[in-house]
Amino acid sequence: MVAATNGTARITATGDDWGRLAARARRTRRVKATSIYAFLIAVSIPIVLPYFWLVTIAFSARTGVAETQVLWRAVAVLVPAVIAFWAAAMLARGQRQRWAFVALVALATIIAFVALVGPSLHLENFIFLVEPDFASVLRSKVGTVTGAVQFPNVWHAFGNSILLAGTQTVIVVTVASLAAYYLSRFDFPGRSSMLRSLLVLHAFPVLTLIVPLFLMLYYIGLLDSLIGVILVLVAFELPFAIFIMKGFFDAVPWDIEMSALTDGASRRQAFLKVVLPQVTNGMLAISVFTFIRGWEEYIFVFTFLIRNTNWTMSLYMFYVREDVMGVDYGVVSAVGVFYLVPSLLLYMAAQRYLLQMSVGGVKG
Amino acid sequence: MASIEFRKITKRFGDVEVIPDMDLDIADGEFVALLGPSGCGKSTSLLLLAGIYLPSTGDLLFDGHVVNDVEAKDRNVGIVFQSYALYPHMTVRDNIMFPLRFKKTPREEAIRRVNEAAALVQVGDLLDRRPGQLSGGQQQRVALARALVKQPQLLLLDEPLSNLDATLRLSMRTEIKSLQDELGVTTILVTHDQIEATTMADRIICMRAGRIEQAGTPDDLYARPSSLFVASFIGSPPINLVEGKAVNGTVDVSGIGFPATGATGAVTIGLRPEHLVVADTGLPGRIAQIEPMGREVLYVVSTDIGHIRILEQGSTAGRGAGEAVHVGFDEAHSLVFDTTTERLIPDSHVKPPAP
Repeated sequence: MVAATNGTARITATGDDWGRLAARARRTRRVKATSIYAFLIAVSIPIVLPYFWLVTIAFSARTGVAETQVLWRAVAVLVPAVIAFWAAAMLARGQRQRWAFVALVALATIIAFVALVGPSLHLENFIFLVEPDFASVLRSKVGTVTGAVQFPNVWHAFGNSILLAGTQTVIVVTVASLAAYYLSRFDFPGRSSMLRSLLVLHAFPVLTLIVPLFLMLYYIGLLDSLIGVILVLVAFELPFAIFIMKGFFDAVPWDIEMSALTDGASRRQAFLKVVLPQVTNGMLAISVFTFIRGWEEYIFVFTFLIRNTNWTMSLYMFYVREDVMGVDYGVVSAVGVFYLVPSLLLYMAAQRYLLQMSVGGVKG
Repeated sequence: MASIEFRKITKRFGDVEVIPDMDLDIADGEFVALLGPSGCGKSTSLLLLAGIYLPSTGDLLFDGHVVNDVEAKDRNVGIVFQSYALYPHMTVRDNIMFPLRFKKTPREEAIRRVNEAAALVQVGDLLDRRPGQLSGGQQQRVALARALVKQPQLLLLDEPLSNLDATLRLSMRTEIKSLQDELGVTTILVTHDQIEATTMADRIICMRAGRIEQAGTPDDLYARPSSLFVASFIGSPPINLVEGKAVNGTVDVSGIGFPATGATGAVTIGLRPEHLVVADTGLPGRIAQIEPMGREVLYVVSTDIGHIRILEQGSTAGRGAGEAVHVGFDEAHSLVFDTTTERLIPDSHVKPPAP
């Protein structure tokens, strides 16, 4: 009883004290938020800057001219803009003021960008989209006409990449869904060791198998064909996809499946009509990851594909770099931007589903 | 509608024997409750009936025909799961219509029957919603409609009320009971809640560790429990049980003698709180705790043979804590069990100790 009375006495403060305490709490909160944002901005600049420069170079570099002025001007716009946005968000009191500040900073940034960087922007670096023999064109600009690599049409490489990544995705999602469902629902001899081996398989560096795989594809007759590469990629992507999908299936209650069976569905119908619709988020998530994995694939396509009609975007990008880097790094950057855009769009579209992975996914 | 028979059914999962040996008859149109604590095999029995599990040995008969090998989808059994198991990606209408899709019911008729089933459980205005947008009680009704729309020959209810709040549980109890009366469908209710079982079912099957402990009407189980297990499982607040030793017509419990008839050896006396009264003579004790329960008052009386619960009619406690009282009861309501076999000793009774 005595202790309680003392406690009450201690926390009873006069009106003045309450105000002081509240002000202190507000101050602390503000300082904390400010320093956290400052830290986050500081560490994200080295990550964001290369992409920013890539885009800037793609739209501004000129054949045969080595000029970096525009990059610094772009940075001179970007960095103050980020800091100004941050300061606006920090200093604003209330939602309306915040919007007003942000709009103001955005306007200033746009004007500065148009004034400082705008005059240097052009689309000439994207010549490769319309002119397959762009390498010769570029060389003729700087005087050396001979020795250019014969590039295939970029749209052909683009199509190959879509075909490779798309087919791989379809196979992986189909097989992983079926396998994961079985692993999640059925008990069979060797089930647990199979689950363990799924993870172990993923732990091996894939590059170690490149020589045996080359021989294997050669003997099967799938060397220098997209199908061969697709099969190799599928084999490497499957274990992890199965593991992720199993987590999603585990989260689907048995009850609704039993309910479907008593409602007259066969096992297959219950799977297709009741269970599968519950794991669409998981299927979307592994689709996106598998697609992007296929889109960015470089080592296997470089090793197993030879003819230039089989080139994918990554090979196209590689040979563009080989051939015209010294002549025109603007074109190399432009190819990079072109290569980057589809995966960026895909990520943005699927972000919502990818976030679900951590919720339904990794539960063993 | 169908009559059901379990004929020497056993069910094991690997080395675990969930149902050692089960014989049971359920008449056509009967409302039966499978009552027991969790893990007693009652849900397993239900899934055996639904055709999700197959019996390890023995036969399951519907209307006298062995259905062991008949698949779940062909058994025409309606089931309401504890979790309701509605299909989250379908609207309520599609949920209820789902069973009809597999019966190739013509579209017109399917829609009519869905509307009827929905009206029966009063969810007619929710047909376009999804299960996620419904309250627990509404989901429960939808699950019931889905089970009933196929006009099942057997309706299985797996703890259907346990996820509802107390008021809703009370009204759903009445509703399910009258619905069953109206439709006359053979119904099996699985529950661990004795109130649910006694209020809804015509017959209760009390199970323990996969075995049927006692089967009978709610009154049988309450008034004539065949074993200590049933006696302690049925009744709320729970029965008072005290162990003693019967010698020469007296049961001796911690030095207190209860005059007894028909008992010998180690026995357990069972006294229901509602059959005990606070009296002037009888077992002496002191009121340790008073719990007003609305219409009744529960006294916990500390005596030489332990704490004894007494339920007294009336909304206010007539006595105060710490008061010295005596516990009295009518001989006819006392139950005597053999402590070693745990079975009821028929026609054996005890009297309150003489002053």
